[in-house]
Amino acid sequence: MLPALRRCRPGPVPLPALAAALGPGPFPALCPGWSPRAVPARGRKSRHDPPAKSKVGRVKLPPPVDPEELLVVLERYRQHRLVLNALRAEFRAEVLQKKREERLAAAGSLEEQEEHRRLMAWNDEENARQRARREERLRKQEEEEKRKKLEIAEKQARKMEAFVEEKEKEVLQLQEEAKNFITLENLEARIEECLDNPRNYNFAIDKDGRIVKRTVLS
Amino acid sequence: MVQLGSCLLRGRGGNVVIRFALGGCTNRPFFRIVVANSRRPRDGKYLEQLGCLDPLPNAHGEKVAGLNLERLRYWLGCGAQLSRPAEKLLGLAGFLPLHPMTVTAAERLRRQRQREQQPEASPADSTAGPGTDTAPGTDTAP
Repeated sequence: MLPALRRCRPGPVPLPALAAALGPGPFPALCPGWSPRAVPARGRKSRHDPPAKSKVGRVKLPPPVDPEELLVVLERYRQHRLVLNALRAEFRAEVLQKKREERLAAAGSLEEQEEHRRLMAWNDEENARQRARREERLRKQEEEEKRKKLEIAEKQARKMEAFVEEKEKEVLQLQEEAKNFITLENLEARIEECLDNPRNYNFAIDKDGRIVKRTVLS
Repeated sequence: MVQLGSCLLRGRGGNVVIRFALGGCTNRPFFRIVVANSRRPRDGKYLEQLGCLDPLPNAHGEKVAGLNLERLRYWLGCGAQLSRPAEKLLGLAGFLPLHPMTVTAAERLRRQRQREQQPEASPADSTAGPGTDTAPGTDTAP
């Protein structure tokens, strides 16, 4: 927009021929401050082809711009774009609405939704029931295990007690027997005693351990 | 034959445009109003055809165009851009507001026609005036 407005601004005419050429044009009061294009627009020739001899003095200028018309046109464009954007928003809302409705319709009618909800509720109930049963079972299992552990512990304890009792009995027995042991102090007294009381071990024993009173020879 | 379609569309993002695709024969153009990716060739593969336009006037002097407004609304709602001639056509059809340049061009044409008429009128008036003055002069002269 700015270059177009700059073109409208009256400025020094670069060539006197320009003023004559313009003459009584559509905007005679304006002597626009244009500058001729340095490089011509491309057509049949490439950038490396030189311009023709007939175009030596040619000066190409951009089309004239009326500032009032330009402002009017810009205002019209602004309003046009406003309306266009409003329409686009409208159409977008329409498309989204249609998509939403389609989705709801695809999801199913009222009865289907009701049935879906009922089935979901039933499923939840079933899950709760199963969960209760499972928890019951787990609880019982835990109790069983605890009881078993207790039993084992008790058994162990009893075994230990029995063992300890046995050992104590042995110890007591040994203590009892220790009274009859021959010690260094008793040694001489016991030897005297044995020598004083001779015992006769000259007997036979049968297989059962009884003393045999009768021999075969008699 | 190398199919360039998906390579074109996946390199850098293009956008969906509603534009004219030229068809027909030599000296007989025919436009199809078409929704396509902007990076496709003008007459190449398009998403959907929304109408057609015959630029040459028919026996009754009318230029006939057909439009599918329902699908047009859908594509505009999906965010399709419009090419300038497509906008102008839809403005003239009444679906969209008139394009500013349509109005401006009409105004310029009207002004030009008025300017052409005024020089015709003023020389005619100026020639009529002296003409009427001289005619009695010549008549009166013996």
